[in-house]
Amino acid sequence: MKARFPNLARDKQDTLLLLASALLVLAPHAAHLPPWVSLLCGATLAWRAAITLRGKRMPPTLVLVPVAAAAMAGVLHSYHTLLGKDAGVAMLVLLVAFKMLEMHARRDLFVVIFLCLFLVLTNFFYSQSIGTALLMLASLAALLTVQLSFQLTGAVPPLRTRLLMGSRILLLAAPLAAVAFVVFPRVEGPLWGMPDDGRSARTGLSDTMSPGQMANLAQSSEIAFRVRFDGPVPSQPQLYWRGPVLASYDGQTWTRLAPGRRQGRPQAVSVSVNGKALHYQVTQEASQARWLFALEVPQALPALPDRSVSLTPELEIQANAPLTERVRYDLASFVNFRLQGDAALDDPADWLLLPYGANPRALAAGQRLRAQEADPARRAAAVLRDFAGKGYVYTLQPPLLPGENSIDEFLYRTRAGFCEHYAGAFVFLMRAAGVPARVVTGYQGGELNPIDGYLTVRQSDAHAWAEVWLEGRGWVRLDPTAAVSPLRVQRGMADALPPPAPFGMDMLGRLIQPDPDSLLARVRYALGAANNGWNQWVLNYTPQRQHDLVQRLQGGLFGWRSVALLALGCLVLLGARILWRRRRADPVDTLYSALCGRLGQLGLARAPDEGPTAYAARIAASGLAPGPSAAADEFLRRYSAYRYGPPHTGAVPALLPILKDLLSRVR
Amino acid sequence: MKTATVAHKVDGAESPWSGWLRRRRGAWRTRATASDAGEVELGQRRVYILPTGAGIGYGVLLLVLLIGSINYNLGLGFGLTFLAAACAVVDMFYTYRNLAHLRLRAGRAPDVFAGTEVPFELHIANPTRIDRYAVLADVDDAPEPRHAIDIAAGNSVALVLAGPTDRRGWCAAPRVRLTTRFPLGLFRAWSYWQPDSRALVYPAPEQDAPPLPMSGRPSPDGSGSAGSDDFAGVRSYQPGDPLRHLAWRQIARLDPRDGGHLVTKQFEGGAVDQLVLDFDALPAQLDPELKLSRMARWVLEAELRTLPYAFRLGRIQHDTALGPAHQAACLRALALYGLPSQDKP
Repeated sequence: MKARFPNLARDKQDTLLLLASALLVLAPHAAHLPPWVSLLCGATLAWRAAITLRGKRMPPTLVLVPVAAAAMAGVLHSYHTLLGKDAGVAMLVLLVAFKMLEMHARRDLFVVIFLCLFLVLTNFFYSQSIGTALLMLASLAALLTVQLSFQLTGAVPPLRTRLLMGSRILLLAAPLAAVAFVVFPRVEGPLWGMPDDGRSARTGLSDTMSPGQMANLAQSSEIAFRVRFDGPVPSQPQLYWRGPVLASYDGQTWTRLAPGRRQGRPQAVSVSVNGKALHYQVTQEASQARWLFALEVPQALPALPDRSVSLTPELEIQANAPLTERVRYDLASFVNFRLQGDAALDDPADWLLLPYGANPRALAAGQRLRAQEADPARRAAAVLRDFAGKGYVYTLQPPLLPGENSIDEFLYRTRAGFCEHYAGAFVFLMRAAGVPARVVTGYQGGELNPIDGYLTVRQSDAHAWAEVWLEGRGWVRLDPTAAVSPLRVQRGMADALPPPAPFGMDMLGRLIQPDPDSLLARVRYALGAANNGWNQWVLNYTPQRQHDLVQRLQGGLFGWRSVALLALGCLVLLGARILWRRRRADPVDTLYSALCGRLGQLGLARAPDEGPTAYAARIAASGLAPGPSAAADEFLRRYSAYRYGPPHTGAVPALLPILKDLLSRVR
Repeated sequence: MKTATVAHKVDGAESPWSGWLRRRRGAWRTRATASDAGEVELGQRRVYILPTGAGIGYGVLLLVLLIGSINYNLGLGFGLTFLAAACAVVDMFYTYRNLAHLRLRAGRAPDVFAGTEVPFELHIANPTRIDRYAVLADVDDAPEPRHAIDIAAGNSVALVLAGPTDRRGWCAAPRVRLTTRFPLGLFRAWSYWQPDSRALVYPAPEQDAPPLPMSGRPSPDGSGSAGSDDFAGVRSYQPGDPLRHLAWRQIARLDPRDGGHLVTKQFEGGAVDQLVLDFDALPAQLDPELKLSRMARWVLEAELRTLPYAFRLGRIQHDTALGPAHQAACLRALALYGLPSQDKP
């Protein structure tokens, strides 16, 4: 700025700097504001810049008031309210832009800077990523620079120096802020009811399943949740994260058991477990749904801060309200269990119903199977064998299955599908063969980040599998997808599907799904770990987490050892500082000060304007004992000669012991 | 007040505590009222600091940010809030540091006449390695500081603060207040300094003073008599002076705007004019201050006309002489006449 407008007056430079930092603050808001607001703000800032550069006068209030009123009306029109969060942010943005045209006193500058700081906060409604944090730091540094530029009165250091000053303030503030962040007592919000601004719908597992739905989800690499195991991470085929369990099929869509059918049934089901429980912590992203995900059978219900959680007879974990923000919960799960194994089902019809008249071929095949095999387990095994051996293909882009008899189409014509096709068809066949069966949706697998040990489960890990009820064994998980594509379950999605290379761009496919040892993969892991650490420690630093951390710190940090170490460190620093000061002072001057101090104790303090010679004369006349008097006189004579005599080199080492000796004789 | 009663109660006991308390109180009193001899360093205890109006506004903003962060559970919002708060703390330290450890020294103050302003010269040195910006300085009772200075590291700045004078005598330098809001303007640090400097204020010269009191006139024959034309000096022109006695050289030196006085040469022998400025010779009914003002005017006028003059003021007697030193001695005597003597010159 300075280079381009070398002759620009100082206050103009400051104003342009202010405009630039306001732009930095306002720019990220453009992502969510209506385009006209962004354009209007841009135009206003440009207008202000033009006024500054040309030295014109500011527009009168009479012009500004109608424009501001029109802008308010525009906000009302765009948002249908002036009160909500989004409308409020839009109003604030416009206010900052218009305030630029109405800046007269220094007080106005503070108003603009404070408003800008508030706008930086409001940007966090929309994004709290690491990038946003970096942008926040840049905005703060710019605002601090502007603020200190306006405080200067005479000399103005170049912009670079001022930016450095602003950044240094920020740098010094950072450790203090970090300490405050960790120890400042946190209160769980909200303090008052938040206006519900209808957060945007996100992709995620839903309560129903129809062909194509899972495949859609599989293309999203959004993170569903992250898991940290207390012990070793179980192998991939054990990682079945259980979600909604689907019972009813209408020929197109699988849905959960209708609430009406549950009435009058016991809510408790018998579960027996063996083996050790796996302990782990799940950090689930905001899903806008009510499902929590656990490995099969949870030991106890997880605790959420402001929601109650319940367990259904199908072992689904459900919160009483949709999860609108990231939540973290601790769980312990058993993967070896027997569900409803010791008794008959309350109402087997729930798990045997099929739509009337649809898919006749599959229905007939099931009935044939029932006649052939007496053992339900063997019926299931036969179907899985068919899936594995009769040319079925696992693909993300299955052919469309229009019409009433989609399962027939899939089983006997296209033979290509995704997990929901296989799970649906398998459950259909089982029911037709008289075996109670149901579809379980959820996630399977996850990607272990070797850097921070977190297992990341993405939407692309969404999966559907089947459960059949076998007398004496209870509900048994069977994964038809595993029969078709064993890799899906053993290694995960990335390995199970051939890399899509539609235009021969095989390399690109590799880039998207790199093998786990490549540099790119390691960079991705590092980024993932950074992001996860950010989420865990900055965005989701809850009172609970704070309590845990402080407890741990108290144990580790405030032992006597740490205190002693801290004290020792302080002492060393203090000593170094004193030594450093000594080193800087002339040793002869130090001795001279010592002499003056000693004579001061004898009642002969040196006057501030007294030179050594005059001082010596006064001491000689003072009636001090002859010994000390002579020594002081000698000292002062030598000091005077050293200080005011002709320059000399190498005399100091010789002089020092003499002066020390003389000093010791003055007492 | 409380400390005072405590100190009295334990006075008899003479415990070390009471002694310490008394010393501290004494030290505080000295610090608050005494002038500062020699060079003064603005130590930690001399720099005061309070938030400005903007600083209080900033505090309110921080509160709003905190409440917003809590209400919307903004993890990053907490980060911003604490960072902004920490910036204010750093600003507080920087503002203090912008003033602390400056070294102040009073410079010279010239003698002036009452009614004009004394320019007190003050030196502010920055022996540290930190540049100081936007330090505002003025006398303590000024509503708005009029001087803004920047002192680079290792540099020194001279500042002239004008102090008003209304009376003759010694005029002590006014108390100086140094203020700074740099860098962020959220805090105001200030410090007081009583410079150990004073200026001598002469009585204001009387505006329409009567002419110089020349004792006697030159005798008509003395002017032309032979043997008595040894040049002795000059005096102001009196009607009737012969033209050939006019001192043209001195006349040319005088500024016509000052009235263009004519000056006559004086010669020894015969009747020689004796210019004596005698306080006691002035009419007794006059106000003493007016008399001093008149004497001041006459001293100036005599110097202007280069008329040697003798000076008598009470016990102070200066023999006939001329020149800056003589003038200064006379004016100084006038300035300090009747005032309690002060030991310092």
